[in-house]
Amino acid sequence: MIAIGGREWALLGAVILATILFSVASPYFATAGNAGTIVRNSTELMLAGLGMTLLLAMGSIDVSIGILMGLAAIAVAHALLAAFAPPLALLVGPIAGAGLGLMTALVVVLGRVPAIVGTLGLLGIYRMGVFALLGGQWLSGLPVGLTELMSIRILGVPLSVLVIAFAYLLVWLALRRTPYGPQLLSIGNSEEKARLSGVPVTKIRIATFVISGALTGLAASFYVANYRNVEMAIGSTLALDAIAAVVLGGTSIMGGRCSLLGTALGVILLRILQNGLLLVGVPSLWQAVVTGGLLIGVLALELPASRMGEMKTKWMQR
Amino acid sequence: MRRLSRTAGTSRILLLLALLWVAVILLFAVLRPTMFSASTVTTILQFSTILALVSLGQCLVILAGGAGIDLSVGGMVSLSVVLAMMAVKAGMPPLLLPVACIVAGALLGLLNGLLVTRLKILPLIATLGTLFVYSGLALALTGGAAQSGVPTWLLPWGRGMILSLPMPFLTLVVPVFAIAAVLLLHSAWGRWLFAMGFNERSARLVGIPVDRGRLLVYGLSGLLAGLAGLVSLAWLGSARPNIGQNLELESLTAVMLGGVAITGGIGGVGGVIAAVILLVTLKTGLLQLNVNTVWQVGIVGALLIAVLLIERLSKRWS
Repeated sequence: MIAIGGREWALLGAVILATILFSVASPYFATAGNAGTIVRNSTELMLAGLGMTLLLAMGSIDVSIGILMGLAAIAVAHALLAAFAPPLALLVGPIAGAGLGLMTALVVVLGRVPAIVGTLGLLGIYRMGVFALLGGQWLSGLPVGLTELMSIRILGVPLSVLVIAFAYLLVWLALRRTPYGPQLLSIGNSEEKARLSGVPVTKIRIATFVISGALTGLAASFYVANYRNVEMAIGSTLALDAIAAVVLGGTSIMGGRCSLLGTALGVILLRILQNGLLLVGVPSLWQAVVTGGLLIGVLALELPASRMGEMKTKWMQR
Repeated sequence: MRRLSRTAGTSRILLLLALLWVAVILLFAVLRPTMFSASTVTTILQFSTILALVSLGQCLVILAGGAGIDLSVGGMVSLSVVLAMMAVKAGMPPLLLPVACIVAGALLGLLNGLLVTRLKILPLIATLGTLFVYSGLALALTGGAAQSGVPTWLLPWGRGMILSLPMPFLTLVVPVFAIAAVLLLHSAWGRWLFAMGFNERSARLVGIPVDRGRLLVYGLSGLLAGLAGLVSLAWLGSARPNIGQNLELESLTAVMLGGVAITGGIGGVGGVIAAVILLVTLKTGLLQLNVNTVWQVGIVGALLIAVLLIERLSKRWS
């Protein structure tokens, strides 16, 4: 699950290669300020991607996470406006996100609506919710309390990075040291077989949607801390970015295989590419094209390996 | 043949949709009595045209099974319009504009089909990727601005009426749906489509070219999206790079509402066109009540989930 394999080394190589290329191409890329920007832009995606890793490993998907983050961010913003203590406001995000994740689970798991269709429907409903709550206006100029909390440095490392590292560690422990990990992956491999071998499929699936919701909610707290505003278009590309980063990281979209380190490296690579292309002078309108192309390109490149296996089994049968 | 239409459950679905439609109309009759006029019928049919064409493509893709879904329909509409207009600006004779639009759509659809059938990428991921690539390209190539310069001879067709029925609906939607219905129910190709959707394994065993069939339906979905783009050109008089926004959600809702099973193999085109008219009536009514479009997206999303929940529950009870 978090073993360093060929995929992770390849990603690390790609990150280094991209850094070198962009440093040569743009004088602004290899600066401390820009490195900070990349890290700050990665925080939400790191957390949302972690949740998406679990969902994809389970053979599920959630395309509504962007707007789910939006709803949670509104909750965090209102908590800040109501003068909550910053640590409490930080917690509002995951709690709101977990609630929304439970809602998704109700539709997808208990209602047995296929995940892609169900979450697409929820995407519409949540977007309506964001609009209703914001009333077409921006929530801006939010108190700085949360921002200051996140940038507290412990041994030179900002709290935000520590929180993300802690979240990854927690999920890793859950996957490696508790039955949750094998059960999750067995559902991803084959839900029917998992059920027959006694895995509490419904419970695990609901839990995973709630965990993913909570992680995306935590991402919302980070979003508010980073930008101190919430507007209508919040999170519009988060789902695509998360799916692209997770697939890039080697988690199988068919379920049954996941890599947390891969996801983290995928997020970094994606953000470096997006940032670097912008600095080289590619208009930001091209970002969705690049991300979508990357997603399809990676899957197309993965083909030889999987098809070779397929052909092998065919020959074995003959 | 009769059994096929019975398994499609067409008559029951049509009755249900008709009842729902009457309910929607009664609702608006109470809320806004002035809505009823011949011009409203024209408006509804005019607005239905694009959604109907796109939903037919979506319906074919889902019918063919194999977890088939086409999330990129909206992107294909936008991009085919933009590409066709760019071709005209680059010196292509304007007379070829309709052909260019349709060919562009078909090629984009075939690309989806290749990703799904040759590269074996999960349809929802492949078309999610191309949705962002296509709609992103449409925006990036135009900078987000509507492209004018549609030849004036197209406009009378796009805006004209026969007996207060819009021309595009009469000359495009009616024949296309008629052809699709005849082909689906009375041709070998149509029966193959149902067979491969209903049970892929046995379809392969009896020698149905499943992959070629699926490649074809994705191509057809693109072609129909190109036709929808052409309608938008002739109707609006300009190429709008965001014309396809939300079409994936709406077409999926129409197809599900029309009684097509998400797993493929069950359904028909009659339900789809009825569902499209129901949806557009609902949207037009909301528009006349001055409800923001974001609310419409939310209501469509809620409808999509409700339909699927009801379908699941009724299956459990019966």
